[in-house]
Amino acid sequence: MLLAVLMANSEGNILVERFNGVPAEERLHWRSFLVKLGADNLKGVKNEELLVASHKSVYIVYTVLGDVSIFVVGKDEYDELALSEAISVITSAIKDVCGKVPTERLFLDKYGKICLCLDEIVWKGLLENTDKDRIKRLIRLKPPTEF
Amino acid sequence: MAQPLLKKDDDRDDEMEYSPFLGIEKGAVLQEARVFNDPQLDPRRCSQVITKLLYLLNQGETFTKIEATEVFFAVTKLFQSKDVGLRRMVYLMIKELSPSADEVIIVTSSLMKDMNSRTDMYRANAIRVLCRITDGTLLTQIERYLKQAIVDKNPVVASASLVSGIHLLQTNPEIVKRWSNEVQEAVQSRAALVQFHALGLLHQIRQNDRLAVSKLVTSLTRGTVRSPLAQCLLIRYTSQVIRESGMNNQTGERPFYDYLEGCLRHKAEMVIFEAARAITELSGVTSRELNPAITVLQLFLSSSKPVLRFAAVRTLNKVAMTHATAVTNCNIDMESLISDQNRSIATLAITTLLKTGNESSVDRLMKQITNFMSDIADEFKIVVVDAIRSLCLKFPLKYRSLMNFLSNILREEGGFDYKKAIVDSIVILIRDIPDAKESGLLHLCEFIEDCEFTYLSTQILHFLGNEGPKTSDPSKYIRYIYNRVILENATVRAAAVSTLAKFGATVDSLKPRIFILLKRCLFDNDDEVRDRATLYLNTLGGDGSVVETDSAMKEFLFGSFDIPLANMETSLKNYIQEPSEEPFDIDSVPKEVKSQPLAEKKAPGKKPTGLGAPPSAPTSAADAYEKLLLSIPEFASFGKLFKSSAPVELTEAETEYAVNVVKHIFDNHVVFQYNCTNTIPEQLLENVVVVVDASEAEEFSEIASKPLRSLSYDSPGQTFVAFGKPEGVPAVGKFSNMLRFIVKEVDPSTGEAEEDGVEDEYQLEDLEVVAADYILKVGVSNFKNAWESMGPDCERVDEYGLGPRESLTEAVNAVISLLGMQPCEGTEVVASNSRSHTCLLSGVYIGNVKVLVRLSFGIDGQKEFAMKLAVRSEDESVSDAIHEIVASG
Repeated sequence: MLLAVLMANSEGNILVERFNGVPAEERLHWRSFLVKLGADNLKGVKNEELLVASHKSVYIVYTVLGDVSIFVVGKDEYDELALSEAISVITSAIKDVCGKVPTERLFLDKYGKICLCLDEIVWKGLLENTDKDRIKRLIRLKPPTEF
Repeated sequence: MAQPLLKKDDDRDDEMEYSPFLGIEKGAVLQEARVFNDPQLDPRRCSQVITKLLYLLNQGETFTKIEATEVFFAVTKLFQSKDVGLRRMVYLMIKELSPSADEVIIVTSSLMKDMNSRTDMYRANAIRVLCRITDGTLLTQIERYLKQAIVDKNPVVASASLVSGIHLLQTNPEIVKRWSNEVQEAVQSRAALVQFHALGLLHQIRQNDRLAVSKLVTSLTRGTVRSPLAQCLLIRYTSQVIRESGMNNQTGERPFYDYLEGCLRHKAEMVIFEAARAITELSGVTSRELNPAITVLQLFLSSSKPVLRFAAVRTLNKVAMTHATAVTNCNIDMESLISDQNRSIATLAITTLLKTGNESSVDRLMKQITNFMSDIADEFKIVVVDAIRSLCLKFPLKYRSLMNFLSNILREEGGFDYKKAIVDSIVILIRDIPDAKESGLLHLCEFIEDCEFTYLSTQILHFLGNEGPKTSDPSKYIRYIYNRVILENATVRAAAVSTLAKFGATVDSLKPRIFILLKRCLFDNDDEVRDRATLYLNTLGGDGSVVETDSAMKEFLFGSFDIPLANMETSLKNYIQEPSEEPFDIDSVPKEVKSQPLAEKKAPGKKPTGLGAPPSAPTSAADAYEKLLLSIPEFASFGKLFKSSAPVELTEAETEYAVNVVKHIFDNHVVFQYNCTNTIPEQLLENVVVVVDASEAEEFSEIASKPLRSLSYDSPGQTFVAFGKPEGVPAVGKFSNMLRFIVKEVDPSTGEAEEDGVEDEYQLEDLEVVAADYILKVGVSNFKNAWESMGPDCERVDEYGLGPRESLTEAVNAVISLLGMQPCEGTEVVASNSRSHTCLLSGVYIGNVKVLVRLSFGIDGQKEFAMKLAVRSEDESVSDAIHEIVASG
């Protein structure tokens, strides 16, 4: 299960937070834990370089893209490698929607589209689409090109 | 929002300052949502408002029931618009609002229309939304469309219905299971993602049908798998099939191993890792099978990508637990990871090295770790401390340097959990390695001189009270303990008073001095401290008013409190609520332990360290069992519990009733404790008993059975059956078990059970009592000394042929598990490529007889294994008994 996708700005303010199968009372813990993890480790990291952490059976893969830090949390079959796949899809979809590596403002300007992309990529904790070109078409309700 | 007066250079500031959501407020956005009701819809404006609503929801904002309903009804109006972009937003918004069952009806007709639309993408999205918000009744109406959609030509439509199926399988399994033909067809799809989703769903549908899973794996491993994700799933299912099928007896080869090995050369890293992990987790994996996987993982240790390094070291860390020698080749690469920037990787590397290192490398490793410890967080330090504890138990002769390391880190800065881990480790080492006792106790004493954690100080004082008086010079601890009385808070002072009393009770020469110290405590400003001091002075003073005999005094001071605290609390509360003239009677408190409901027992496992509450203090399972059995009158006369086995599962996973059994061995008796869990919410079981057929266990005769009165859903309970057996004899036998009970229907809405029930039975797996159940695993710190001091009087030596075996490791493990003894000095690990091996075992045989075993293994030219078994014990009949176990095993 892909337990969470979280995006924050460089100050640690939440931009997008989506949980799957995480009890409401634990979400705040996760939020602060991930933001702290980013603050501790993401300084000076290149765009899209993937970092990894784990706690017991839960894995976290995270990265930075312009002004935005992105975290994905998973367990069981969503281990560090599957999460790397998921986060790569997310970063490339965001870059695609924004046209470049996003500033915070650009990210917020494209907020609606980014939400749609996320909706195509992760559905209730399962990875659904992985190809950025297809996602780009799907959010405009266009069928995939290979079809 | 636009600021035309600003220059272009100021764009950046502009961006920071004027976020499109600056000052966003829920109330205002809900007002704006009224545009959804306009007769002339403005799609752009509506999309903007939905975006704002999404922003609010993604920030963790919640809508009240009324707000959500209002927005939901307004959003449904947007179906009138033909704007494609807006429709896509509407689909998302409805999912996010997750309307309640009575509201869904408003939108179903629109969605059903879209589901039959000619536009593929309307179909795909409508399926996803409907499946998200639907309930069982609606699902049967749309099932036909969903089945069609699974085999739709458009991969997006097919994936939408397949992923919906995966979700719906949790809530409506009987419906989704009817789709297996279509899903089977989708597995052959040429679209990579459709195949991936179909494979996942098909496996979930058929997971309990071994034959079907095996067929699926056989056909796909020979066919084409189009995406790395699907390949990973297939590898996982293949391992499951391998686990269930075992070796091919004719060729000695493992089915599908070639497929897994082939995957190690796949171009996707994800697949390589999955295959490597699958190979390392094969049961009874040989070093020939393991090697290719280890080689691949070793290459990844020096990858430039942190994720790959992490994945590799994580897998190797796991392998090291069972096949330490196989990982030794990677030690050099692993050592360079100690300085890895990613602390998770560094910690895994360290703990792996601690597992694979040999006795001679311990000191060098400790030096490296000392530098590493200063710059990692507490959560990682705890992992290292645990690994060092295991290392010390493996190489007891190295206790000095390891204990020193622990005491050094105990002096450094650190949080409660970390300090507790160190203290727990020192306590365990003191218990298991007698030589380490005195130095360990002194380290703990020094720690409490400057300990900021009351909990740890009191725990250490308690431990010191039990162990300190038994040392060669107990007087040296008194100063540390009495310092607590002078310097600490009331809780610690009270604990120190109790500890002093224990010293006074055990060491006669110290008694007068302890008296003086306790008398000083009578003037403490805390009443608990004064009370304890008074009580202990009277107890030790021996005027007979508190305790009458010396042994009663010791029982009073050292005896365990055998009443569960929760029960005590409840009884006291009841007593206060109903005032009475009678004094409170502690004997009236029930001793039966109430079991925890399943939901509480399951560790969340997702919470990051440092956020949760500290775990409760470790309690020994043996103590808990003993207390539990003593509280049952039928078993109270059985005497001292010799050994309790680990729970043995008597049912398969995910069955209606989960039952495991713990074998409790007494001198003249064996008690089976059946732990039962009812996993069906609609049932209440009553009068639950296990009917045991002991016809294949001739020496046992059933003497008592304690039924379980009721077993409600998810709340485990225990039923017991006791057997008599000849005293001191390691009787063995096979028992078949049948669970018998009265089942009553429960109304799920009210939770009430019907009055009448039906008697029913449930067949459980057989259970065996084996020779190893009569031997306790008890290690010795220095085997050579123990062996020599035992002397050759009761020694018995013989040789045995073990026939052809897979490997030396396998032969060694087989004998260790047959005897159930504790391997000493790390001799359970066989060096790779060696042709002979000596393994040292120690244990205590029933009747409290110490036993030491020296096993020498060898292989002859024809790959036949032979073993020389030398046994020394305090009783020659026990030495003979060990030989009998091996001869008949």
